[in-house]
Amino acid sequence: MSLPRLTRSRLAVVVALVAAGALLSGCGVMQPPEAVTSQGSEVRSLYEFVFAIAVGVFVLVEGLIIFAVIRYRRKPTDTELPPQIHGNNVLEIIWTVVPAIIVAVMFLFSYSALQKVQATTPTDIQIRAVAAQFQWQFDYLSADGQTVLFQQLAPEMEVPAGKTVHLQLKANDVIHAFYVPKFLFKRDVVPGVNNSFDFMVDAADAGQTFSGQCAELCGTYHGSMLFTVKALSPADYDSWLAAQIAKARETPPPAPSGGAGQVQLDIAAKDIQFSTAALEAPADKPFTIKFQNNDASITHNVAIKDSAGQEIFKGEIFAGVDVRVYPIPALKTGAYVFECSVHPNMTGSLTVK
Amino acid sequence: MTAGSTAIVAHAEVGHAREGGISNVILGMLLFITSEIMFFAGLFAAYFSLRASAPAWPPAGFEGKLVWLPTAEHIIPVVTIATILLVTSSWTCQVGVWGIRRGDHTALVRGIGVTVVLGSIFLLMQAYDYTVLYSEEVRLDAGVFGTTYYTLTGFHGAHVLGGVVMLSVVLYRAMAGQFTKDHHDMVEATSIYWHFVDIVWILLFSTLYIIPNVR
Amino acid sequence: MATTALTPAATGARAGLYDWLTTTDHKKIGILYLVNSLLMFFVGGVLALVVRAQLAVPALVHYGFAAPGFKIVDEAFYNQAFTIHASLMLFLFIIPILAGFGNYIVPLMIGAPDMAFPRINALSFWMLPLAGLLIMTGFLVGGAAAAGWTSYSPLAQAKYSGTGEDLWIVGVILIGTSSILGSINFLVTIFKMRAPGMTMFRMPIMVWTMLVTSTLVLMATPVLTSALIMLFIDRNYGGHFFNPATGGSAILWQNVFWFYSHPAVYIMVLPAMGIVSEILPVFSRKPLFGYKAFVFATAAIGALGFSVWAHHMFTTGQVALGFFSFMTFLIAIPTGVKMFNWTATMYRGQLSFATPMLFALGFLTMFLIGGINGAFSAAVPVDFALHDTYWVVAHLHYVLFGGSVFGVFAGIYYWFPKMFGRKLGEGLGKIQFVIMFIGFNLTFFPMHILGLDGMPRRIANYSPDAGWSDLNMLATIGGFTIAMSMLPFLWNVFTTLRNGEPAGDDPWEGNTLEWATSSPPPPYNFDRLPEIRSERPVFDARHGLVGGGH
Ligand code: HEA
Ligand code: HEA
Ligand code: CUA
Ligand SMILES: [Cu+2]
Repeated sequence: MSLPRLTRSRLAVVVALVAAGALLSGCGVMQPPEAVTSQGSEVRSLYEFVFAIAVGVFVLVEGLIIFAVIRYRRKPTDTELPPQIHGNNVLEIIWTVVPAIIVAVMFLFSYSALQKVQATTPTDIQIRAVAAQFQWQFDYLSADGQTVLFQQLAPEMEVPAGKTVHLQLKANDVIHAFYVPKFLFKRDVVPGVNNSFDFMVDAADAGQTFSGQCAELCGTYHGSMLFTVKALSPADYDSWLAAQIAKARETPPPAPSGGAGQVQLDIAAKDIQFSTAALEAPADKPFTIKFQNNDASITHNVAIKDSAGQEIFKGEIFAGVDVRVYPIPALKTGAYVFECSVHPNMTGSLTVK
Repeated sequence: MTAGSTAIVAHAEVGHAREGGISNVILGMLLFITSEIMFFAGLFAAYFSLRASAPAWPPAGFEGKLVWLPTAEHIIPVVTIATILLVTSSWTCQVGVWGIRRGDHTALVRGIGVTVVLGSIFLLMQAYDYTVLYSEEVRLDAGVFGTTYYTLTGFHGAHVLGGVVMLSVVLYRAMAGQFTKDHHDMVEATSIYWHFVDIVWILLFSTLYIIPNVR
Repeated sequence: MATTALTPAATGARAGLYDWLTTTDHKKIGILYLVNSLLMFFVGGVLALVVRAQLAVPALVHYGFAAPGFKIVDEAFYNQAFTIHASLMLFLFIIPILAGFGNYIVPLMIGAPDMAFPRINALSFWMLPLAGLLIMTGFLVGGAAAAGWTSYSPLAQAKYSGTGEDLWIVGVILIGTSSILGSINFLVTIFKMRAPGMTMFRMPIMVWTMLVTSTLVLMATPVLTSALIMLFIDRNYGGHFFNPATGGSAILWQNVFWFYSHPAVYIMVLPAMGIVSEILPVFSRKPLFGYKAFVFATAAIGALGFSVWAHHMFTTGQVALGFFSFMTFLIAIPTGVKMFNWTATMYRGQLSFATPMLFALGFLTMFLIGGINGAFSAAVPVDFALHDTYWVVAHLHYVLFGGSVFGVFAGIYYWFPKMFGRKLGEGLGKIQFVIMFIGFNLTFFPMHILGLDGMPRRIANYSPDAGWSDLNMLATIGGFTIAMSMLPFLWNVFTTLRNGEPAGDDPWEGNTLEWATSSPPPPYNFDRLPEIRSERPVFDARHGLVGGGH
């Protein structure tokens, strides 16, 4: 009788030790990254709180199960039935009420954290993230909501560290989600819905770059819908923005059609199709493409790639019905491909000679 | 059944031993109707949600298309007459049921027969209404207004059609004398279904026709 | 106990093909459900292996397009693979296989000769293979559905998704109809066909869970049907329900979809909980602890299940966060009651560890993890971080695989002797359990960490710089390990059917009525019934307790 008892308790100790070891190492890696925004820090400390409770519940219940399994194995001597216990109302009440209290506390903590994460503060740093299959564009807005800068070619958002940024989210095609793991935050970008949120990158993180990615399945290349967020010191940010705006102004405004001897190519899109499959342009001279998007609320653009597949020009992506005149730099003689970045099946050939 | 010993139950008895309560068929029908209620609840939820988020309801261009009182363009409001007919048909159906409960076959056949006719007329009038609305540019693809209108009324119409088919089977079997005072579950079940279809229509009629016109 | 001496060959496995195609016997239909569902599990599993193989090694990812790096399948096929994986696993494996157990066992457990509507029962079954074929036909017509099993609009609209999506919609509508008809059948059977003495509070917990599950199906599935029909109208007839471009609402789809799909996750687990609740008492030689509390907890889960759906939509910013967070937390309470009752059932028992019991313990220990990591998402700000990352993938597999699938295998090992008159080999059973248990944790535990590190779900590629490579490789190894565990299982079934150990009527010293008839049972189940004075009539009869009561 005493011998099996002994092995049992020994077994129990071994199991407990192994479990504790696994748990400790588990706790170490089961943490989200250090947050870089003040909102993210709230999430992180809430996570730690929930995690502590979770570990407690896990150890308790798993422990009870393992204890029962080890302690109450059937022995050869077990010929009589064990006591036929049908239940115990006091126990039922205990294990209803105690979890209810725990859960209520968890709710209160998470609710108060939610208020902080969702809080908005008036700010004049207004940025708009425009998501489209399968890329991001970041527009910088003035205080009155006018767009002052389109940031297109690099899916990179610069933000001033230590200042609250108000980010508007806009999509015209399908649902996307703005997600930066180090913010510990994401928000869906839903067509027809005006979502926005505030965040403030910690001042100490100026100079860092964080990777972000679309987090809502949005089609074939959802996994490639990457972007980065670059935190600058407020002064750097201001000068960066000023420089960008100046650069945008410098680019000669698109010549009015037919003016100044510049060639203008016309192309339109309708029903996710270009109006033509072949364009021709003169070599070694800048020209313009006038692109008429006739697909209501569908986004298109015109991008140009060389024969090696290297992108040389990418026009602004915009929703129809609307028109844009793209200034194209001088190209060398040769065969090029134009396409819509949003709809890779919309392509055609551009011959420069 | 004696306590303490093993009870021996013949095949046929097992499972039929539960006494009282409604029959399997009627319980089955009630449960089926529960699922139907949830089905229409889904459609109604979509309708109300879209209507609530629309800038105006009826949306521009659709004002006055769905009328239930006579107007200059629609002197005879077809839907209102159809509604009256359908409500009446619930009554005639029930008269038939009461008949068979007394064992009165003639009342059953008459009641159900009239119900089938009224149900069919309702369907014809709905078809007519559709053609009129179509000619007035109220189409399935005409904005959320058209989409919700045809989906809701269309699925209701399909249920009326199903009900008419079931009632016709009941009528056929009634004429063949297959129902008795104690054995007419199918009549009861079909009538419950028919009342349900009727109630759905009253809800639809109120939300689609009356409420948008209340100013 | 039972006096009939039907051999297995006479009723069970070797009945003619025609017989199987036309049968209305709930036992045969139950077995058809099981076989069909297991086939779907294997197909869904192979698709999961495609997913895992693709994710084993990182690839360079470019903005907008994937670089021609490591590729088992292209992005388009990857999306189809996980969409169809989930659709098969949920709609054609877990839900039907649990309904299959219900079909086989509920009439036996309540002492009924068959289901209430045997022909409707057959109809419910035959819709399933048809639906499965429809959904998979997509692969042949230019791409199966690829918008995820959640099929969010606008992605699921005609502009962004092809014919496969239509096939998927029609298939899922068929499955839903099959479920609804089945649930009506279960409810009428349970309410109307119980044997004399089988009061509601003497019904086995398995029957209770089928009752609550059927109620959920009855109330929730029709809403999915209407949602799918609306989506079909949008796609094919120019409707505007879910299309924001033309006045519809993308959020509306999510609301109606989750109004069904959250209750559906309890449809996918409650019967498995029922199975476990049958097995634990038998192998502990004790009654289930707190029978009534268990029944109320099951009902509470069912009821609360209708008020938490928007916890899948926290990041849309378009739902009442506080309310849905609170309700979601509440669901932990009744589920906790069940966990504690199960544990207390084992307490001071005499536990033996036959394969069914091992799988039941697998359920307890693994479902606990899945439940707890679900509670993380109930805390809205935490869900802001975890939503649509691999954390959620870990959660759903811990509850669905660690919970439901372990429960399913527990049920297979437990009732196989009843169904076929032969007992599955214990050795192979234990080997399967161990491999599966290890493989399962190897696959899905690392996903928690991946999720915390920010790996989004539903991506076909990730960059080597992301730091997710090692854990993904581990998960892939685990996935193939799970697949390996199916080999001893299949071999076990094969050899047992050919020359397994005859089981006898009551191999486990069971509690409930199915053990009071022959294995397999005769066409109308019982020649005689023991007297029913508690929820354990066969136990009472074995121990001479009938008449005495307790
Ligand atoms: C069988 C299926 C099943 C089950 C049972 C559950 C159970 C639960 N689920 Fe899960 N869930 C899914 C299947 C399931 N889920 C699926 C498939 C998805 C993903 C869908 C998709 O997007 O594809 C999902 C996603 C999902 C989300 C959305 C995540 C996201 O996308 O961001 C959330 C959010 O709240 C959630 C919560 C919960 C909770 C709180 C429970 C609770 O019921 C769990 C309760 C149990 C316990 C908590 C353990 C036992 C309790 C105790 C021991 C008491 C003490 C406990 C405490 C005090 C915490 N689930
Ligand atoms: C009951 C439900 C269920 C089950 C059992 C499983 C089982 C498995 N799932 Fe499942 N999965 C889901 C439900 C389920 N899944 C859902 C709902 C999603 C979300 C989808 C979405 O986002 O829309 C998902 C998504 C999902 C993903 C995320 C994909 C993504 O977001 O990009 C992954 C990735 O690893 C995965 C892996 C697996 C694996 C490896 C198994 C394994 O356990 C499978 C093991 C089984 C087998 C392998 C079959 C046995 C095979 C044989 C007998 C043949 C032998 C063959 C060989 C050895 C080649 N699943
Ligand atoms: Cu955009 Cu995913
Ligand atoms: Cu849920």
